Amino acid sequence: MTSLKNIKVARRDFLKAAGASAGGIAALATLGSGFRPIDAAAQATLSQQGTRIAYTACVMCPAECSLAVKVENGVASAIYGNPHAPLNSGVVCAKGASGLQMVYNANRIKYPMIRVGARGEGKFKRVSWEEALDYIGEKLIKIKQQHGAESVIMDAGDVTDRDPYYYLFRAFGTPHTVEHGAICDTPRRHGPKLMFGGKRVEPDIMRPVLVRQPDGSLKNDYRYRTRLIVYAGWNPFTATRIVYESRGTVEAKLAGARLIVIDPAFSNTATKADQWIPIRPGTDPDLFAAVLRYILENHSDDDPFRRYIDWSFLQYSQGWEEFEAAFRSWWNKKDPINGLNYFSLEWAAERTGIEAEVIAELAHTFGITKPAAWVWGMNGIGHHYNGYTAAIIGTALNVITGNMETPGGAIDTELVKSDKGGKVKGDDFNKRDVTRVVNGKTVTGKQEELHMDLFGKWCAAWDDAVGDYPSRFLEGVELKYGPFRGHKYPIKAFIIRTGNPVITGSNTDAWIEALTAKDGDDYRVDLVVYIDTPFLETGLYADVILPEASYLERMSLSDIYPSHQLIYLRDFVLEKMYESKTQYDIAMALAHKLHEKGDSDIKPEDHWEKYPTEEDFWNEALKVAPGRTHCGYPLPYPQYPVNYKLLGTPDSLEEGSVTIDDEKKVIQGEPVTVQWLRTHHGVAVWPMSWGRFDNGGVLKTDSKKVDFVWDYTVEKDGEKQRKGGYAKYNKLIEAAGEPTPGLQELDWEKYPTTFYWFETLWNPYTNPDFARYKDEYPFQVISGRIHHAMSGTQMVDWLGRIPTEDLWMPLNDDRTVEEVIIGPDGPTPTGRKVYIPQQTWSIGVIQMNRADGEKLGLKTGDLVEMETPLGHKTSGKVYLVETIHPGVLRLPFGGGGRFSPGLGKTYDFRDVTPNANAIVDPDHHSPIMGSPIYGDMIVKVRKV
Amino acid sequence: MPQLKESVLDALKTEESRRAFLAKFASAVFAGLVAPAVAGEVAPVQAAAAEQSGLTDEFDATQLPEAVEGEHPIKRMMADLRRALQKPMEQRRWGMVIDLRKCTGCNGCNVACITENKLPPGVTYRPVMTETHGTYPNVARRFIPRPCMQCDNPPCTPVCPVNATWKRSDGIVVVDYDKCIGCRYCITACPYAARSFDSGYFYGDFEGGERQPYELLPSPEYGENRVRAEEGSPIGNVRKCHFCIHRIERGELPACTLSCMGRATYFGDLNDSKSLVSELIGQPNVMRLREEMGTEPKVFYLV
Ligand code: SF4
Ligand code: SF4
Ligand code: SF4
Repeated sequence: MTSLKNIKVARRDFLKAAGASAGGIAALATLGSGFRPIDAAAQATLSQQGTRIAYTACVMCPAECSLAVKVENGVASAIYGNPHAPLNSGVVCAKGASGLQMVYNANRIKYPMIRVGARGEGKFKRVSWEEALDYIGEKLIKIKQQHGAESVIMDAGDVTDRDPYYYLFRAFGTPHTVEHGAICDTPRRHGPKLMFGGKRVEPDIMRPVLVRQPDGSLKNDYRYRTRLIVYAGWNPFTATRIVYESRGTVEAKLAGARLIVIDPAFSNTATKADQWIPIRPGTDPDLFAAVLRYILENHSDDDPFRRYIDWSFLQYSQGWEEFEAAFRSWWNKKDPINGLNYFSLEWAAERTGIEAEVIAELAHTFGITKPAAWVWGMNGIGHHYNGYTAAIIGTALNVITGNMETPGGAIDTELVKSDKGGKVKGDDFNKRDVTRVVNGKTVTGKQEELHMDLFGKWCAAWDDAVGDYPSRFLEGVELKYGPFRGHKYPIKAFIIRTGNPVITGSNTDAWIEALTAKDGDDYRVDLVVYIDTPFLETGLYADVILPEASYLERMSLSDIYPSHQLIYLRDFVLEKMYESKTQYDIAMALAHKLHEKGDSDIKPEDHWEKYPTEEDFWNEALKVAPGRTHCGYPLPYPQYPVNYKLLGTPDSLEEGSVTIDDEKKVIQGEPVTVQWLRTHHGVAVWPMSWGRFDNGGVLKTDSKKVDFVWDYTVEKDGEKQRKGGYAKYNKLIEAAGEPTPGLQELDWEKYPTTFYWFETLWNPYTNPDFARYKDEYPFQVISGRIHHAMSGTQMVDWLGRIPTEDLWMPLNDDRTVEEVIIGPDGPTPTGRKVYIPQQTWSIGVIQMNRADGEKLGLKTGDLVEMETPLGHKTSGKVYLVETIHPGVLRLPFGGGGRFSPGLGKTYDFRDVTPNANAIVDPDHHSPIMGSPIYGDMIVKVRKV
Repeated sequence: MPQLKESVLDALKTEESRRAFLAKFASAVFAGLVAPAVAGEVAPVQAAAAEQSGLTDEFDATQLPEAVEGEHPIKRMMADLRRALQKPMEQRRWGMVIDLRKCTGCNGCNVACITENKLPPGVTYRPVMTETHGTYPNVARRFIPRPCMQCDNPPCTPVCPVNATWKRSDGIVVVDYDKCIGCRYCITACPYAARSFDSGYFYGDFEGGERQPYELLPSPEYGENRVRAEEGSPIGNVRKCHFCIHRIERGELPACTLSCMGRATYFGDLNDSKSLVSELIGQPNVMRLREEMGTEPKVFYLV
């Protein structure tokens, strides 16, 4: 019964905020049971008076740059880069600078809402937080009672501040806590993960780096040592995710580095390249393999002009002989599609469309130029069925040429970034014993062994396999491996936060079908909750919508892919607007609610009693920072032992306020805290070093070496142990006697122990099964990322007006639209008519080679329909240019066909813009980890 | 009050004149001129760090760690700026250098400028132009950010019938919004399309119908802290890049320069041979746009 009052308070509150006067911190305390006012320290920073600079972290894209936000009388007025964070070193991209229009967007979700129409209809009513949480709590408890907690999925999206949700849902009892990475680019990460225990190989071009000097001081080093960067299918200037790669690449080039870009499209990164090598989509592994073969065949220890391989890598790796032998075993085999020997220059030329001499020169250049980095990306490698093979070969190329961890070479950034999260990730809950009755027998296992991917269809899906969720929603889960083998359960609740899988997680129609499928009168997925700041398409299918505070109104940590350990704070910059809540608020309030309704898994002492304030929660997450091995040269802290784990603030480590535990090999300084970060421009920076693979260093494989073998046996204490990246899964498969469906597709019994090869799907040029489509479906479709037009930022006016990369162009027609705004009850027509003059707004277009277009009688701006052999269709305007490989169409990922009114002008042009995911093959996923195959489709084109 | 306005735009000459000026015209409008530091609105720590009074160091850039070699470009350019501010205004020659080899076309500068100056829809001071040449696969593309060139010989100023736009003694071409009658002759006269007309739109007009909180804030342009509202200047005026006078006069870099993603933009005093910009324009690969017009731009491009 408190709801009415709450609404009144909140409305007044909102009016105050809109009028930029004093805010309503006090009002927060009156909200429902679970919410607390923010702590005093945070409150003090939110002064409504005067002008101040607040340090925080961006989320306009997943680079999460460190920002300095100017706040005038309580209103954010400008966003600058934070010069103290070496990741972005003061720079900020167009998205980052335009964050104000996200924060103050008219289409923000303002209040909790509950669906009143059918899913997808977009009809909601405003409710109080109490009502919303009651609804969710009751359903969750019912689902847990009827089907088990494993029937609930918490997908916490693409922002690294997901811990409160992970913590709560793992405590609730589900192992299905997911992040967006699972649908994004898992194939590209596979090589580094398998071989280093890492994730992302990037060039050593983050500058400055803080380096220990011979005189003992710490200084910023701005020097670029890189001589060559190869970017394959990676466009950092536009993806902006590894933010330092923009300034780093151009600076390195001015300092003498050569830049080679391999991409079917002339990307913004390619504009700065010494050489642009257009490649046929899906043939990156072919090119990589030919380069590796060339290097192996032509290397000479004696000829300095052919000394490609730096054998010192053998000291920190194992299994190279097996890998090389497996790789060479293909050399005499003939490719059925062209009759040529695998991995030969001619073979690769035939398949990639790149001349043999160009490939040879590329291989030679990479082999001979040191230091160098061979870097591959999301769209090129991450989006293909066979991206794994490219990621593995790419990793090997950096290793054998001696470029890993050399100054100016390549760095696996996952291995060297700061640790964070620790206890608040909720891993401990996942280790709890749980019991299930499987086929009449009571079985006990660990909570994590209920995981639908890791013990179901994709057991090597390290970061889950969201792309395959629609089939799980429809068919349910049957565990195939582990103690719960045979256990069947349905997916009954899908909670999605800062994500939009309907548009970005594989085929759009497949998602809609899964979210709207019914058993009788009830939806098969009984509960869909959407938590976010913007209102995106997936929200249209939700039962409950919760407004999450924007990134300027919440707290958490950021640490994205730097060259060495640093961490920065996302801090409260503004008061929470409308009735939005932070992730901590929401998770704690839901914990309260579940406890109140009798969920015995939620114990006060694990939640609000343990972390009574937001700051307590994040201080716990900071306890494990930086958490990396102290190693490399120059040694970060010469006074401390090597290969111990470092913990604590940079200044406590510097001053020697530490305790050293020789048994555990830990150097413990004073823990980093939110408060410490606040008094240090929001950033903690620990020193850089190189050579961090020596003697194990930061490597995370079982062997603490670079692994070229992935399932091997070692003897320890007279006992034989299986080790390696695939050993765990192979043991499960052997025990069950059944390979995963992905492996079955490849005709494999198990995960291979070393180098492997398979062809991509839907590629008529490389896979004989699809050769028959070549003439009828003459175009391969790929996507490109537009920094202006991430799935969740297209409502931003400033970005909407700026064209990018022949993918996001001002081709809008003249129209007057009836405005729809996300109001208190969801999408609401305002009655206003808004006139948008032609060519003033950038919309997603289809980038097409000019000659191809002219052959079809098309001109720029013509509306065409694309159709796949599976009958999927999408349409958009063609943009004819010289900047793309003939026979290839490029679409903006998430940049068209956007049917959520929360997208502003992008929504208004949904009928003339292409949805790249409308045409993705819904039934095939990359076979190792289950990632959607966004980049493997062919189409025919028809003018409409 | 034409005389008075002119002096506002040319006032921040020296510390003496600044103080005298403030004392004389201590109104709300003028307080903004030297705010936030003088008005005490910035955290005291930051104000204390400034070596000259009236200067700010918004982001404590001067506290960046020492470099092994050279310096952080922000730190270096801020030092250049501060040196220039110690000289009388007419001895400064502000200039910008944009290294086209480093510009990644990200448009960060464009949006940073829009937010800094609270520009309305349809007004941009620093669009990033794209130029593409060639046929597949031999193509080239370059990005050309285009702020106002702050011409030494500006064709835009003489055409103004009411003398609302002129070149300051430090080389910055300014517009007096109170005098501008919106005839737009200067827009036609500018060979760089650097001037745009403020037709009075608000972002809310295109979404939701209500003013956005950030467009209700005063714009810091020319230190005047104007709140843009119906019928009042700068609506109906011509607007243009002014090298962020309000920032540089307090020792801060222009918003675009600070934010530039490729670190492709440099700013400083061309009259100071030790400044980074002077160093850069001494290179042989420097060019200016439409040199043949004789406008003598103060924006240089490295190619
Ligand atoms: S660029 Fe145009 S507006 Fe700027 S000073 Fe030159 S002529 Fe005037
Ligand atoms: S100097 Fe200031 S006004 Fe001029 S383009 Fe840069 S940010 Fe905009
Ligand atoms: S911010 Fe820098 S790199 Fe980006 S477009 Fe502007 S000048 Fe170019």
